Amino acid sequence: MDKKFSGKIWKFGNDIDTDTIIPGKRGTIPTIEEMKKYAFELLKPEFGCTVRAGDILVAGTNFGCGSSREQAATVLSHNGVRCIIAKSFARIFFRNAFNSGILLLQCDGIQEVCEGGDIVTVDVDGRTVSVNGHTFSVGEVPENLFNIVSNGGLIEDTKKRLKEGVKKLNITPLSREQCKKSGYTMVEKLLKKNAGKEHVKPGDIVITKPDMFMIHDIYTPYLLDTLNKMGAESIDDPDKVTIVWDHCMPTAVAKNDSEHYDAGLSLAEKYGIKKLHIGEGICHSIMHEERYAKPGEIATATDSHTTTYGGAGNFCSGIGTAEMAAALITGELWFKVPSAIKIVLNGHLPEGVLSKDVILKILGDIKADGGQYKSLEFTGPAASEMSMMSRFTVANMALEAGAKCGLFEADEKTAEYYDMPLYKIDWIRVDEDAIYEKVLTYDVEELEPQLSCPQGVDNVHPLHEVLGTKIDEVYLGSCTNGSIEDMAIAAKIMEGKKVAPGLRFVVVPATNKVFKEAIDLGYIKTFIEAGAVISHPCCGLCCGMPYGLMTDDESILSTANRNFIGRQGTKKTLSYLSSPTVAAATAIAGVISDPRSIL
Amino acid sequence: MSTFVEKIMGKPAGAVVTVTPDYLVINDGVSHAAVDRISTVANQDKVWVIYDHDVPTGSPEAAAVLRKNLKFALKNGCHYVQAEGVGYQYMFDKVVKPGQIVLGGGSHEGIFGAKGTLGISVSIPELARAVETGRYSVIVPETVFVSVTGKLKDGVSILDGALAFLKENAGIAGKAIEFYCPSLEDHEKAVLCSAACISGAYTVSVTEEQPENSRILCLDQVNSMVMMPCESRGKQGEAEIRERASLEGMELQAGQIGGYTGGTIEELRKAAALIEGRKLTLGFRLTVCPATSQDYLKAMEEGIITKFIDYGAQISAAGDHSVVPQGAGAMGHGEKLLTTGLYTFSGAMGCEDAEIYTASVESVIAASTTKKI
Repeated sequence: MDKKFSGKIWKFGNDIDTDTIIPGKRGTIPTIEEMKKYAFELLKPEFGCTVRAGDILVAGTNFGCGSSREQAATVLSHNGVRCIIAKSFARIFFRNAFNSGILLLQCDGIQEVCEGGDIVTVDVDGRTVSVNGHTFSVGEVPENLFNIVSNGGLIEDTKKRLKEGVKKLNITPLSREQCKKSGYTMVEKLLKKNAGKEHVKPGDIVITKPDMFMIHDIYTPYLLDTLNKMGAESIDDPDKVTIVWDHCMPTAVAKNDSEHYDAGLSLAEKYGIKKLHIGEGICHSIMHEERYAKPGEIATATDSHTTTYGGAGNFCSGIGTAEMAAALITGELWFKVPSAIKIVLNGHLPEGVLSKDVILKILGDIKADGGQYKSLEFTGPAASEMSMMSRFTVANMALEAGAKCGLFEADEKTAEYYDMPLYKIDWIRVDEDAIYEKVLTYDVEELEPQLSCPQGVDNVHPLHEVLGTKIDEVYLGSCTNGSIEDMAIAAKIMEGKKVAPGLRFVVVPATNKVFKEAIDLGYIKTFIEAGAVISHPCCGLCCGMPYGLMTDDESILSTANRNFIGRQGTKKTLSYLSSPTVAAATAIAGVISDPRSIL
Repeated sequence: MSTFVEKIMGKPAGAVVTVTPDYLVINDGVSHAAVDRISTVANQDKVWVIYDHDVPTGSPEAAAVLRKNLKFALKNGCHYVQAEGVGYQYMFDKVVKPGQIVLGGGSHEGIFGAKGTLGISVSIPELARAVETGRYSVIVPETVFVSVTGKLKDGVSILDGALAFLKENAGIAGKAIEFYCPSLEDHEKAVLCSAACISGAYTVSVTEEQPENSRILCLDQVNSMVMMPCESRGKQGEAEIRERASLEGMELQAGQIGGYTGGTIEELRKAAALIEGRKLTLGFRLTVCPATSQDYLKAMEEGIITKFIDYGAQISAAGDHSVVPQGAGAMGHGEKLLTTGLYTFSGAMGCEDAEIYTASVESVIAASTTKKI
């Protein structure tokens, strides 16, 4: 690849999410060659059939936000896109794009002087981009990243490393005493512990050895294919790997899902992976339920909501398929140490207001790119009062602000949940002398329920602004709000009541464990008697699978984590996100309702 | 002696009769097409619009059908039922009474005959006309009597009996069937009547009086049966039926227990007993679909749902999952499914090249431990 090249521009705006790049419903098409035709199908339907090799995308802020789906990068790569210029990029997309052989350049200004169809010239060494007689500076591209692009992506790069024999790093993790050294943010402490570094600061690149890798079934065919392409006959440590069948299980999209199911079994067999969870629930819930992701450790997975286990003080962040393949082979994974935002939660949450409302409020304030590649670190009395499930909810959605991770301090609740002594993890705390980029303080005492409104997670409004909005379907579930506590609070509201006539109420417990407990405690009975339908634990409608898809002009209120255009139905389906209490109250009334008047 | 259909219609076979059905059933499966043809509703209290097929909705198109049906029901003041499970079973358990008449656009209305209710499957235009006028005209059909004798062998169920009957009794399309089967339990009679509809019979029922001249279905001689895949929905009645033994060893990818032939509490209890001490084979997907929400509740109370979860099964929402183009349990290219559902046509459960086989609960559970028939 030349370091100076030109290409025709395709122009995009801000917050182009991965669902816009390739809709979630296309995510299970087994081959990228077939899938690539659907790139930008909702926004620029002509893209897939007219884009030419060498074309360059120019976009605004936060390009590639949303889901971690590596396919968003690979469909662009397979469409011949070799360079994207944007004001900023979402963090997982940033990694995925380089790993797919696409050069990303950060530039603020070019967007104002170019249009689609113009020709832009990129000079990597000169660190400039030029169009229509204007020249703008861009950042430096590290040599190793340019080499990955130049080699055609991480696959080719890893093949080269495998041929040369993978040289493993000898890393000695820090001791507990070393971890206790004050003056660091939680993310710095977690990364330096694993990487065996006495000192790190934001921007440093550290090589870690993750303690746990999770793969879910959306990516099993691509991961299997990538490992094969890389020539991997074995992986570093199969005991550190779990495969969860949750997006495509139960198999529901006929022409695709069974291939994902089979590929997972093939992966397990070929690489000796024994920790298998087939149709037992949502991967992120299983990761903490099975104690795979532990406090003080590092976990990674092929999914954006991997941030969930940060609720237990685990550093966890999503990666793409190619990166997962390389990490499984080497057992290593690099991270750029993020800067951190401290979020102090004061006061006590009022009845009917849940941790979901807290994170939605924060998202509304800082927006979808407000935590871009940051560690959001939660502290304060209200954070301390939150249950583990509530903390997982907040950490899960920290990703929606673009955060690298969302971390809670480890305390007695954490120790009890993990059945471990507190002294082993009490170093996972916010140091008063740590350097935070920003401190946000909230008094949750005054907080009212919040809703993400159509069509964006950060389009957050307080409940009173949307009260009375007609809703056609309510969905209770997901890794955000499908826990036993979520079932309990919703059941409390639904007890003895009926779902509004004609409204569809779909309940999907997060895992089999939650499902069985909800049966034992009578919650499922309450839901069925109220008029709900119960689906088996899975990702379901949260990821756009066929578990209550909607049609044009219908409105859904969901406890899930995303309301991107088209995700729960058509591009004309209106999607709201809320807490389980608002969901239950709304299911009864048929319009968005206040749970506080019922509890 | 008058036949069942003659008694309810009030005229002998061969006579033209016009009746006033007590229930006109429209669902989201096939009969929603009638809604497009209906301009007025003669009697709103007799029209039942039921959401029971695509539960929860598997596509925006399915949601659009629901929207249409709901709008129709609200506009005309009809009954609207959702989240109650399979419409047939819900109506059978909760609504219809002996001596009444049910008209629907499905294929298995004969299930109501097990309760002494005349269930008639009609075409979409016929259903629409009946909703508009409140009336239905027909030439009273002849009746074929069948005496069910003997006792089923262990591991063989009444669905096998029904399939064996269909295999040996061609040429009864358009006629009424009356089974004399005093030895069967009530739920078995419902399975027999609903499955016998595959013959193309006008209706099916159960009689308590021993017929003089009847065909014989000897349960002692029934073996486990399988209804083979067929080309299209229209040719379901021509699907080949074989003894299961002839397919022994054929590899399967999935099994499904559900609906009025496999998802009632009685069938679920049987299935739960069969999985005791067994293990779901890795690579075999088992879906369990309780027929109604009441069956679901009972199964929960009895610990059956939990037992299936522990076994590794996927529990679907209560509903009719015998045709699933997209949704839980859909089958991929070239896969083979063994199901208690009565549709084996190409595309019924997902990909057109997936092969669907109908068999009993016993056969499905047996397959779940071996991944083979």
